[in-house]
Amino acid sequence: MILYTSMPHELIFPTEMNEYDKQKVVSYEGTSLLVEMTEGNNCTVLRVMSSDPADFMNEKFSPGAKITLT
Amino acid sequence: MGKNEKRQNESQNDGQDQPKEEQSSSLIDKIQQLGQTNVPQLSQDSKIHCLTIVGQIEGHMQLPPQNKTTKYEHLIPQIVAIEQNPKIEGLLVILNTVGGDVEAGLAISEMLSSLSKPTVSIVLGGGHSIGVPIAVSCDYSFIAETATMTIHPIRLTGLVIGVPATFEYLDKMQERVINFVTKHSNVSEEQFKELMFAKGNLTRDIGTNVVGPDAVEYGLIDGVGGIGPAIKKLNELIDINKESEEGIVQ
Repeated sequence: MILYTSMPHELIFPTEMNEYDKQKVVSYEGTSLLVEMTEGNNCTVLRVMSSDPADFMNEKFSPGAKITLT
Repeated sequence: MGKNEKRQNESQNDGQDQPKEEQSSSLIDKIQQLGQTNVPQLSQDSKIHCLTIVGQIEGHMQLPPQNKTTKYEHLIPQIVAIEQNPKIEGLLVILNTVGGDVEAGLAISEMLSSLSKPTVSIVLGGGHSIGVPIAVSCDYSFIAETATMTIHPIRLTGLVIGVPATFEYLDKMQERVINFVTKHSNVSEEQFKELMFAKGNLTRDIGTNVVGPDAVEYGLIDGVGGIGPAIKKLNELIDINKESEEGIVQ
């Protein structure tokens, strides 16, 4: 299918709302993390949202780590 | 024979099996997460903070989660925190972006240019479109030799503040970008516009793709280099900043 339009793809085919709900920005031990909720309070870290390089060295919440929110 | 010996060893180690297994599973976890077993540790709080501007610069419309985006609502509070925290002495901005929302990009650029602490930017990979004002907004800018910046006129996909905008509105918006770039770099307005409206560089479009050393030649970026020269420059700027502050106190 070819769409002849200058409209962006996401305007024509909006993403389902539940896709947005899976990802959340949480504050964990003072650092903002972008996480993907798995089940219950468990989630996987996707991105570290910090400007402090030391936060990226913290193994506890390195991307891919599984953390439990309280 | 070998097997028997091994078994014996295993039975002897029975008591220690538990912690060993745990250790190896945490090691496997680490390999799965990071692709390596350990990461280097910083000794203490770093006086240099680092902002990474990657993927698309997200504007007022939230992009679907599979997109890699830089959100202004995340960056702006971080820049405010960097300005306020006396422990932070300098900021390194790392760009690898395809561009994105003009207003959000200009907002980040203005925040960076008005920061009182020394700032150095490096363009790695790409700093396209609205990434250009962000790169030049810092006190000193670097570009990697292989990195590129695409300079092109403002394009419109979608709506501006909910309504289709007139050509004059877009022209004004473009003027804002040109003014910012020419004010914060050594490129002249004529030169920048020439790059912006150049023909024959992009497929069926106008604009120029400027590669590392060319960006320096045009005066857009201050120097070619990577992380080493950038940190060195930032440390120099921090020292100069400290000296001038001490001068005021005396």
